[in-house]
Amino acid sequence: MVRGRRASFAAGPYVLLLPAAVALAAVSIYPLAYGVVASVRHYRYGLDVAYAGITNYVQVLQDDTFITALETTAKYVALCVVIETLLGLGLAMLVNRQLRGASLWRIGIILPMTVAPVVVGVMWRLIYASDIGIADPVMGLFGIHDVHVLGSDTTAFLGVVLLDVWEWTPLMFLILLAGLQTLPQEPLEAAVIDGASAIRVFFDHVLPMLRPVLFVAIVLRTIDAIGTFDQIYVLTRGGPGVSTQLFSIYAYNTAFLFTQYGQAMAMVVILLAIVLVLAAIAIRLVRLGPGTR
Amino acid sequence: MTDSIFSRRYSRRSMLRAGLFGAAGLAAVPAVLEACASSSTSNSGGGKIVIGTFQDNAMVPFRDVFVKRFTSETGIQVQYNETNYDAWYQNSKNDGLHKTGAYDIYVMDDNWVPEFAAGKVIQSLDKLGFHVNSDILPNGLNQGYWPPKTGAKMKDFASATPELYAIVIIDDVEILYYNKDYFPNAPKTWDDIASAAAAKAKAGGPYGWSARGVKGNPIVQTYLPLLNSYGGNFVNDDWSPGFASAAGVGALERLFSFIPYMPTGVAEFDTDQEVQVFLQGNCLALTEYTGLSHQVDDATASKVVGKINMAATPSQEKSGPAIGTFICGVASGAPNPQGAKQFLEWFTSSKVQTDFANTNGSAAVTKSALSDPNITSKYRWLPAIADAVNNSVAKPHTPDEPKMEDILGTRLNEALVQALQQKSGYHSIAQSKLTQAANEITAYLKQQGGYI
Repeated sequence: MVRGRRASFAAGPYVLLLPAAVALAAVSIYPLAYGVVASVRHYRYGLDVAYAGITNYVQVLQDDTFITALETTAKYVALCVVIETLLGLGLAMLVNRQLRGASLWRIGIILPMTVAPVVVGVMWRLIYASDIGIADPVMGLFGIHDVHVLGSDTTAFLGVVLLDVWEWTPLMFLILLAGLQTLPQEPLEAAVIDGASAIRVFFDHVLPMLRPVLFVAIVLRTIDAIGTFDQIYVLTRGGPGVSTQLFSIYAYNTAFLFTQYGQAMAMVVILLAIVLVLAAIAIRLVRLGPGTR
Repeated sequence: MTDSIFSRRYSRRSMLRAGLFGAAGLAAVPAVLEACASSSTSNSGGGKIVIGTFQDNAMVPFRDVFVKRFTSETGIQVQYNETNYDAWYQNSKNDGLHKTGAYDIYVMDDNWVPEFAAGKVIQSLDKLGFHVNSDILPNGLNQGYWPPKTGAKMKDFASATPELYAIVIIDDVEILYYNKDYFPNAPKTWDDIASAAAAKAKAGGPYGWSARGVKGNPIVQTYLPLLNSYGGNFVNDDWSPGFASAAGVGALERLFSFIPYMPTGVAEFDTDQEVQVFLQGNCLALTEYTGLSHQVDDATASKVVGKINMAATPSQEKSGPAIGTFICGVASGAPNPQGAKQFLEWFTSSKVQTDFANTNGSAAVTKSALSDPNITSKYRWLPAIADAVNNSVAKPHTPDEPKMEDILGTRLNEALVQALQQKSGYHSIAQSKLTQAANEITAYLKQQGGYI
């Protein structure tokens, strides 16, 4: 009797956790597992026709377009995250200095990230359009003529980076401003009293204390940037050529345009592995960083 | 009262019992849903049909006039569901593959037919006893056969007898739009257009020609009428790419020859930008699908009302516009296939098609509708549509066509960007990029198997 009562008591917490566990498995683990299974299947005419082993992985890794898309994604993410971090930090430092109308500044700065990515894509397409856009006339004022931002590989790539910076610097700003506002003021005031310059205070005190928040912001933004799709799909469709074709666009096309679901899932699994390795390295670097044990 | 869920004791037995009841309930759901679905329809041709489609302006008369008219004439209720193109492609494919029975008729783009027919997403209209109206223009009708009646066939289907899997409902095809201020008569050849462009175009407008230059499908649609007219093929009957030939290179060089007379940003132009240049009266001519016909005389959107005429796309060796029909298939799990068949036979009948053409000049599919003098006097583009359909060249019939188009469209876009920057060396640019596309397509088809 006692044993049975103990067993029923012990099951209680698990029963309460069951709905959440089932929901998590249904929306997160099952799709992931299904994707991994799909990556070793061969699809034809939309049908799952045979086991493919590692064929999809081999074909994907031999696909020059996929490798190019990975390289483009890496360049895009690196450029966007670096610029957005620097700009976001700069803006956060500025707004944190008790400026007049700080709340208005905050609202103004975060506005771009409240716009839906598809709308952002359409907006910037109008800005860059060579016939009716304002980009070409504005550059013309500075003596730069006939650029046609979306008309060549380099300018189109820089154009999509600029769009991303415009849209997502506010996120970095918001996270870093929150981080700055939680920093203890005493060490900073002590450093100033001891005669440290503003630059020394920033590098010796603010930055080390802000490091955990900075790390979270960079990781969040990196993961988000890797999955960028809507804006670029609307703006360039990955062109000219393949110059702005990010991994996400190529994987989407492979799955839903070329109906090669197996290959598309192999691409996703490969990217997942790359991201996990990078995340593990990043976490380790933070743990090994100065001031940590 | 105090026995709340949080204070209740749970034993293994009570958990097991609850689990079994839950599983039994879930297992019963499909049977209940199936019973509900079958109770609302019948297989006798009466009852109700469900049509699913993507949104397109060309479908407006179909939806607003003819679906309602069918119900009033037959008593069969029609439920009409529309969504955006990409979502509908996935939705219809999933419905057909799993035979969920949510739809009876799928409105499709014609390049879906190979995949949907080979994958049994749709069912054979021949096996349903579908009566084909002999008045339907053959090139439009042929888009619905699988395997295709002519051209390259995949190995798995090489010996199979072509069956009708889908029936054309709107003959969308590329036609030539030209401004009568610059062309007193329809230009017959690309040379005619080049001559007019050289004589009348100016930097900043009017331009001699405008085109879609964006990678993928848009620039392929620009290139195909040129390629076909120069005697080239997208693929030959043995699936070898046919565009990396002298004809294909010549066709691309012809497009490049318009560079001095085209907007400088044409490599980033999609339909909206290309059409805007034309509707603002800033361009002599272009090739586009039939939807533009309805815009040219709309004074709210066009500055060239009454100035535009239409014709079949220009020839060099021949005229060869691309065709992209709206086409209907009956879902493999259709609850009411006979009702669906009845609707499609009714809509493609000569009488209804004549009325369809007479409703805002819709691109009907029958010869009699497109040549009816009472209708063509009101809608001047209809004879051009008939002419273009008769001269049209279909894209390769294979589920891998989108990938082939993407490869060709990417290299064409790169070639155009390079040509716009260099403004010379057109032959070597065309040769190099088309050869690259051909090699990539050949490698892809070899990897897929069933072709070469």
